[in-house]
Amino acid sequence: MSGLECRVQYPLAQYELAVDLSVRPGVTVLLGPNGAGKSSLLRLLAGLAKPRAGRIRLGERLLFDAHKKIDLPPEQRRIGMVFQDLALFPHLDVRRNIAFGLSVRRLPKEAVKTRVDEMLDKLGIAQLAQRSVTTLSGGERQKVALARTLITDPQLLLLDEPTAALDPSARGAIRRWLHQILGQLQIPTLLVTHDAEEVAWFRKRVAVIEKGQIVQRGSYHQLLREPQSDFVARFAGINMISGEVFEDRFEKVFISSGGTKLQGQFGSVLPGPACLAVAPWEVLLFAEPPGGSAQNVIPGRVIERIVLGDRVRVTLLGAEKLVAEISHRAWKQMGEFDKGTELHAVFKTGEARITNN
Amino acid sequence: MNRPRPFTLLLATAGLLLALLILLPIIALLLASSPADLLQLVLRSEVQQALWITLLSSLLALPPILLLGLPAAYGLSRVNGRRRRMLETLLELPMVMPPIVAGLALLLAFGRRGLLGSLLADIGLRIPFTLLAVVIAILFVVTPYFVRRCTLLFDAVDSRLEDAALLLGASPFQTFIRVALPLVRRGLAAEAVMALAQGIGLFGTIILFAGNLPGRTQTLALAIYTAFESDPQQAFGLGALLLLISFLLLTTVKWLAPGESLQ
Repeated sequence: MSGLECRVQYPLAQYELAVDLSVRPGVTVLLGPNGAGKSSLLRLLAGLAKPRAGRIRLGERLLFDAHKKIDLPPEQRRIGMVFQDLALFPHLDVRRNIAFGLSVRRLPKEAVKTRVDEMLDKLGIAQLAQRSVTTLSGGERQKVALARTLITDPQLLLLDEPTAALDPSARGAIRRWLHQILGQLQIPTLLVTHDAEEVAWFRKRVAVIEKGQIVQRGSYHQLLREPQSDFVARFAGINMISGEVFEDRFEKVFISSGGTKLQGQFGSVLPGPACLAVAPWEVLLFAEPPGGSAQNVIPGRVIERIVLGDRVRVTLLGAEKLVAEISHRAWKQMGEFDKGTELHAVFKTGEARITNN
Repeated sequence: MNRPRPFTLLLATAGLLLALLILLPIIALLLASSPADLLQLVLRSEVQQALWITLLSSLLALPPILLLGLPAAYGLSRVNGRRRRMLETLLELPMVMPPIVAGLALLLAFGRRGLLGSLLADIGLRIPFTLLAVVIAILFVVTPYFVRRCTLLFDAVDSRLEDAALLLGASPFQTFIRVALPLVRRGLAAEAVMALAQGIGLFGTIILFAGNLPGRTQTLALAIYTAFESDPQQAFGLGALLLLISFLLLTTVKWLAPGESLQ
């Protein structure tokens, strides 16, 4: 199964949406701040809005081509979309909502029933079949909306902020569920979000959109290592330690504003004010200071600890403030420490980039 | 207990006076004839005829009102800006037209010497002074109101539900039938009853375009007019009868309308 190739231009109020994007089977996360054009892009792909120029190809099929004047209507694109507010039909019960896409194709009643039953089982929501969608919880609605879309066998799946409408307590469970379900599918999937936590679940392929343009793409970790925009840096929580670079005859030294002497990749940095950047997952945490050279050690006290999917993000305050992101397993092995614990943050000099600001 | 404030009192007084203004004539009309009088009236054959024509013409007008009005309303609800204002003005034209002028206009369009007169004569169709004329008169006057109100109903449908239907593979027509219509069904039923009620009370347009022919085009409203000249007491009775029918329809509308919250 092949993926989506799209190159579209579309005028928005503030700027022009100009996106060149390919989505392979599996989940690609489209990450961007509110108003970056994420939802507009989804509407263009779905055929609910018409690009000013460009081309959209899904597998072998051309969905849109401005030159060839091809513009398939939404109902012929075979694109499944789960809307942010889910858009369940309030006049139909759960079973009929899920059956909708099949019954408009005039499939025999028996066949529809069989396939709806299969889908209900597959997503583990058989007990909801007869319920009115107006009485469902946020998480249940999410599951019904996904079932309704998947049953039409889409060749591209679009998810618009799938967990934004949920209350925070339900979010974790639904994310885990979504991760598991989407992991089984081989459909090209574009998951739109402005929430870093969501990205933590789908790390492999991430595209960042800002002001209507894809500004960066790669794995979650690639983005974090070399954030190419403020938004990514902020969301990534890259550690930025400001200080100054000194140079004596043989080597360069970085001294932080807090007075810590640190080593890193100096590259072509000049003596003077500078900044040391290190990604959170390059920072390891130890109870006792480890031996060994070529690494920086900064002791501190845990002031914040957040579980993000299967990662744990820890903020350590000592002479410097450092964020470390470790695996959930590592956190467990360290005894599931909490706020107030004294630890040592360690990172290799090779992972710390020092640049002039 | 709080003492009512002067402004509240003012509002209450205005409301009370308005209620009196509405209720007083209604009560007077209902008091003018006893239930026995009404029963006797209903048993008379010419009254039954007028009643029959009234209901029949309104019911016959209903399918074309729905058939023309629903697509027009749905179409209008998806148009915006200047085009929508222009189309709405077109709809409002028959609304501000005095009913009697509407009757004249219909005569000039469909009458023997009207714009379509010779065309209609060629196919052997003579419209004025027939039941068909009554139905056309109702259609002409009532449909614009129906379309206006249904447009508001369709405006309230969340467009994302329609987008979702399209993306699930429904054609625009299926989306209209399976999503938009069911979502407004209660409001729609109320509007259909409202259209019936409006047609039942129509007078000026019918009397000019369809004439006042007992047994053929004479509706209750026209029968009242005829009776008033010879036997006012009978006119009062017929009036009460028409009022009761309208009240019944209004109750139906109210019963249908409230649950409009997408249930």
